[in-house]
Amino acid sequence: QLFFSYFKELVGKEVTVELKNDLAIRGTLHSVDQYLNIKLENTRVVDQDKYPHMLSVRNCFIRGSVVRYVLLPQDGVDIDILHDATRREARGG
Amino acid sequence: MAPGLKRFTDVAGDGTPRLDDAAGEELVCVERAASVALGSRAPEPPGTLFITTRRVIWLSEAEKGRGYAVGFLDITLHAVSRDPEAYPSPCLYTQIEAEADSDEEDGDLDSEADSDSQLPKISEMRIILADAAQLDSLFDAFCHCAELNPDPTAEENEDSDLFHGEGMTNGGWIHGDEDEHMVDGIDPEFFIPNPIGQNGGDDLSSSVLEFVVDWEDLHILYDDPPLFYEI
Repeated sequence: QLFFSYFKELVGKEVTVELKNDLAIRGTLHSVDQYLNIKLENTRVVDQDKYPHMLSVRNCFIRGSVVRYVLLPQDGVDIDILHDATRREARGG
Repeated sequence: MAPGLKRFTDVAGDGTPRLDDAAGEELVCVERAASVALGSRAPEPPGTLFITTRRVIWLSEAEKGRGYAVGFLDITLHAVSRDPEAYPSPCLYTQIEAEADSDEEDGDLDSEADSDSQLPKISEMRIILADAAQLDSLFDAFCHCAELNPDPTAEENEDSDLFHGEGMTNGGWIHGDEDEHMVDGIDPEFFIPNPIGQNGGDDLSSSVLEFVVDWEDLHILYDDPPLFYEI
């Protein structure tokens, strides 16, 4: 649940989602659900040459289970807060 | 059940697909005059698209008994594509979880007699509607149904501990650099050597902070030695 809450805070920020098939998609985080399915707006593929058929679309829905990474803007992360929160979670809090 | 796209032939007398009522599968919406284009193949002649709570089924109008189906569990991404450079017609672009080790989607397939063995390798499917204005609501229907079909393993992990503190020798934070692929060659569960604070020289304010999560297990890779925290 930590990540769900955390990602909700990132709505509106620019992120890059890298999928398990190596595709990387950049866009504005529109919404996220409890399964960490991600909706992006103003999406564009990061590496066009690898995926020529891919598209620049307005909105895109990515299934949570296929996400490998979400790359965040540096100013989108309050490291101390996240750090504390993760430590609390790790302790079973 | 093998992942991916399959042939669908279970059609009732009225031309609609037989659903798995026992499993609670219900019809969500129907789009007539819809065509599908599998992989890089040309679009099929128009048929009818049935969206159910479990899967997407397309039945050909011209060729009765010909159809395809894919479960929402296997639809990894969907988006409305309106860019003519990406594809000549506006469509709903979807990616499908294809069988592993499928380098080519459909290879040198004979266009008429595509064998069933090729279908699971299809990793992209485009749905073209006669009325492109319906694409947005089709996108929404796909979102809705995808949310109805979470991964079974994801449910197990939902409330479980997200983090493994023990046994990890590497820090959970990567900083740096334009190089987004620092995990190259490393098992995604164990990676990266430079937790914040331990690499004193690094400038945190530069570039992107990468926050890596193994989604399948929802673990944060997090090393928790005292010295890491009490800088």
